[in-house]
Amino acid sequence: MKKYFASAAMTTAALAAALLLLQAPADSQAPAGDAKAPGKGAVKGKGKGRARPTGPTPRMADGKPDFSGVWNGGGPVGDIKQGLMPGEEISLTPWSKKIMDTRLTKDDPEANCLPTGIPRIAPYPWRILQTPSHIFYLFEGNIHSYRQIFIDGRKHLVDPDPTWYGDSIGTWDGDTLVVDTIGFNDKFWFDFSGHPHSEQLHTIERLTRPDLGTLDIETQIIDPIAYTKPFKIKFTATLRPGEELMEYICQENQQDAQHLQGPAGPPER
Amino acid sequence: MGAKVFILAASLGAVMTVPMLAHHSFGSEYDSKKPLKFEDAVVTKVEWTNPHARFYVDVKDANGKVVNWNFELASPNVLKRNGWTRNTLKEGDHIGVEGAAAKDGAHLGSAQKVTLPDGKRVFAGSNTEGQ
Repeated sequence: MKKYFASAAMTTAALAAALLLLQAPADSQAPAGDAKAPGKGAVKGKGKGRARPTGPTPRMADGKPDFSGVWNGGGPVGDIKQGLMPGEEISLTPWSKKIMDTRLTKDDPEANCLPTGIPRIAPYPWRILQTPSHIFYLFEGNIHSYRQIFIDGRKHLVDPDPTWYGDSIGTWDGDTLVVDTIGFNDKFWFDFSGHPHSEQLHTIERLTRPDLGTLDIETQIIDPIAYTKPFKIKFTATLRPGEELMEYICQENQQDAQHLQGPAGPPER
Repeated sequence: MGAKVFILAASLGAVMTVPMLAHHSFGSEYDSKKPLKFEDAVVTKVEWTNPHARFYVDVKDANGKVVNWNFELASPNVLKRNGWTRNTLKEGDHIGVEGAAAKDGAHLGSAQKVTLPDGKRVFAGSNTEGQ
């Protein structure tokens, strides 16, 4: 607790020191958390902001990649189109076009503190915890929830109840984890733009960790009710070494939804 | 102590350039073309809560009438990762606020920069990307 609740005086001093650095290039500074990363590789100064850590892919005892770690990103936020893979396109059916055209931003489930579903990833840190039989996604926000992927060889549930994260089965294709998910509800949106789906949604995610700091997630969206043909997107999550999840109870003081104006759309509108 | 101050400062500097989106579309709630700037705002309440920390300030409008404004910050976790604590702002503090106003005309804003009572101007965890 002391770590986070320093005295006001110290905070003021810290902020004063920080002001001296506001104009400094972010790349030149190691994030605070990286100092605590045990036995991790070098931090490479590349791109804006927090550098992506480098190093070899961590592995489980059986040699399979270990996806464990605290991550940031890895899914759509503003618009799923931003992750379309080359040659792919999003082709709405009349059913889904009608839904999308009438969605209002105030009704975005995420803005109302409900889960993102798949493949959307909220812009908060999240942790993968991998065991030989299960992979858990622990989300800090939005919401303080979890997703589970069974990698113990079981089959899908028969006629699963529709849920926000569905029924996820993972199998290995070399160093790629293939996650097949069915059993979704139709309540969540893929992004701020309001891309819809039906309960027929079927996702096939291909997860790879080509190095320590990178988690690539390719997702094929299959939903003949909402899209005339399947399409693939790809987003990349970045490791946040030394970061810990913190409590985030979105429902505590939610005041935004009633002020959100107009049709659903990406944040740059 | 010195090292810790530097680490907090380094963290703040690093995160300044990293877009962090909120759980809702910023552009649907706030209008970046409606900037707000209050030079002497008096903090009346601080809510160190999710999904956004908030503070409320009394400010005088053009007619001298006191109006209470509600300002949204980032989440407490984002603020903590940027060097804030729950005591950075306190009831009774005289501060400056720069931000964007709500589209719906409510006395509601998204804070972008806060000038603390000691004159330091700090990142407030909100920008047009919805931080």
